[in-house]
Amino acid sequence: MISVKNLYHSYSNDEKYAVKDVSFEITEGEVFGFLGPSGAGKSTTQGILTGLLQLQKGDVTVAGYDIKHIKNEMFNKIGMSFEQSNVYSKMTGKENLEFYRKLFDVKTRDPQELLELVGLGDKGDIKAGEYSKGMKHRLTFARSMINNPTLWFLDEPTTGLDPSIASEIKSIIKEKNREGVTIFLTTHNMFIADELCDRVGFIVDGEIKLIDSPKNLKLQYGEKFVDVEYVDGKEAKKESLSFMEKEDIGRLKEILDSYEIRTMHTKEATLEEIFIKVTGRELV
Amino acid sequence: MKLWHSFVKELQLSSKSWYFYIEVGMAVVLLLILLVAVPKETDSRTDEYLYAGDIPSDYVDLIYRGLLDDEDEDSEYERVEIKVGGDLFGADLFVTDTRNIYFVDDREAVLRLAKEDKEVGIEIIPASDGGLDYLYYLQGYESQKLKNLYMVLQNNKVNYKFVERHMDRQTVETIEKDPFVLNNRENIVPVFLTYNGSLMGLFIIAAYIFLDKKEGIAMAYAVTASKVWHYLMSKIGVMMVTTISTGLILVIPVMGARANYPLLLLLVVTTAFAFSSLGLLVTTYYRDMMQSFGAFFIIIVAMILPNVSYFAPSWEPSWIKYFPTYHILEGFKEAISIGGSAGYVVFVSIGFLAAGLLLFLFANYRFKKTLTI
Repeated sequence: MISVKNLYHSYSNDEKYAVKDVSFEITEGEVFGFLGPSGAGKSTTQGILTGLLQLQKGDVTVAGYDIKHIKNEMFNKIGMSFEQSNVYSKMTGKENLEFYRKLFDVKTRDPQELLELVGLGDKGDIKAGEYSKGMKHRLTFARSMINNPTLWFLDEPTTGLDPSIASEIKSIIKEKNREGVTIFLTTHNMFIADELCDRVGFIVDGEIKLIDSPKNLKLQYGEKFVDVEYVDGKEAKKESLSFMEKEDIGRLKEILDSYEIRTMHTKEATLEEIFIKVTGRELV
Repeated sequence: MKLWHSFVKELQLSSKSWYFYIEVGMAVVLLLILLVAVPKETDSRTDEYLYAGDIPSDYVDLIYRGLLDDEDEDSEYERVEIKVGGDLFGADLFVTDTRNIYFVDDREAVLRLAKEDKEVGIEIIPASDGGLDYLYYLQGYESQKLKNLYMVLQNNKVNYKFVERHMDRQTVETIEKDPFVLNNRENIVPVFLTYNGSLMGLFIIAAYIFLDKKEGIAMAYAVTASKVWHYLMSKIGVMMVTTISTGLILVIPVMGARANYPLLLLLVVTTAFAFSSLGLLVTTYYRDMMQSFGAFFIIIVAMILPNVSYFAPSWEPSWIKYFPTYHILEGFKEAISIGGSAGYVVFVSIGFLAAGLLLFLFANYRFKKTLTI
């Protein structure tokens, strides 16, 4: 669905690249997470894939279209939800969706149905300018579905939303993916990436450091621990022991044989910990 | 259809924006200025203040009779009072076709009028040869040419009769018989149409575009299956509607049914198109309104220059005709004048349409690269 080969981009048209030699492929029906801190090159890459930025160097194919020669019909297949809400504030939520649906050549979704899907069913006749930040974000998210896209670009889809709404948004994303929609998710939220993505790519300073599935990454880089709380005499004690170290395994056996166990939890490495381990950078 | 939907949406949005009402409000203000502050015909007569108290009354009678015979034989003079500072002075007023001549009773009035009101004061005094001399109280900045002229006309330093005979021998041919002349009020309409109409699109459209960029709306539009030129043309369409509306607000009350409205609208639409396209092109080189302000300022100041030659036809260097606004002003003048040259208006309109198309194509090319930056 998406093929990127040796992509470079410079905003100053010199050797200072915001994106350097980026290559990856995304297959149909996949949820691909593009992860990195602010300024890593996520938005630049996404901008090129969606035609918002001109392709300078490299080969990019999106939904079967060569990005060097973008055709408007490509956008009939694409949906784009922006991180910053960008709706017409002087139009109502419904008017916003009604207008955008007329800009596509394919069958579009009913605006009211979309508004209800994102929890704005009773707010459709209110001007978008009067919406809260979260409501505008949901309207932007709903608009990205208006043309039934087969390739969906989501830029920080749950940022600024309260947990219950964020959960609903994640459910919608999962449902669309089950319907076969390919999803390109840009985020710095590792929990969402871990929950939604089939594969993730780590990008730092414009370069992709690693691409794999969250599961494989955890297997490869994650160190499994067990947190055990036990009673030694009258005193409660806690220890964190690795499953990978022989010495720790022996100690765990000793605790299990000798003491009364209060609690015991296994703990996997998080994507964030793996990201820091691989890139040496934190996700800020 | 996408273009139509975009246009309708832009119309709805502009009807909810300040820019639209500022333009309409400005047109109403300009109309009020035209109707209230600009007289149809300007009184171009000059005021002259004379004191002839030191010459014998017979001479004064002769001067009075001479004035009535020469310039205004059907009229009498009237007795008036003129106010200088806080004081009133009596005077005999002669109103001729070209002058209001006050013969004041008191020399002080002439002196104070010259000093306090910056008027031309003249004192008629007996000359040593038995005739009359004219003593002028001027302001000091008058040119030597004017002073010489006074000497020629009044003080017999040259043979005025000779000059008069020479002038009488000159042949004046009228090229156009009974030309239609716009009155003062009507003559200003082309200026307002040009600057509050045609040129308005230049920076209002830039304001619309920069606002869309700032709010990210341009980006949202860019990821739809609609073309960039639809987006741009819908904005231009709004500018055309606004320009037509403001133009008609100005023209209908002043010109009534006398203007050639099809021609007028043709010129309004094509010039609005050309300048809106120019505005679009300028925006592609800047990130926001502040950055682009310098460029717009230079363009607008340059476009105002032909206004000078419009009101002062004696100053019309050949290069001024290279400024588009020169032809817009003349075109509007033709369109609202009875018997105006339709050919000229159509020719100018075709020129602006062609220029607008070229500018629009280039702006569209540039926008494909810069709309989302």
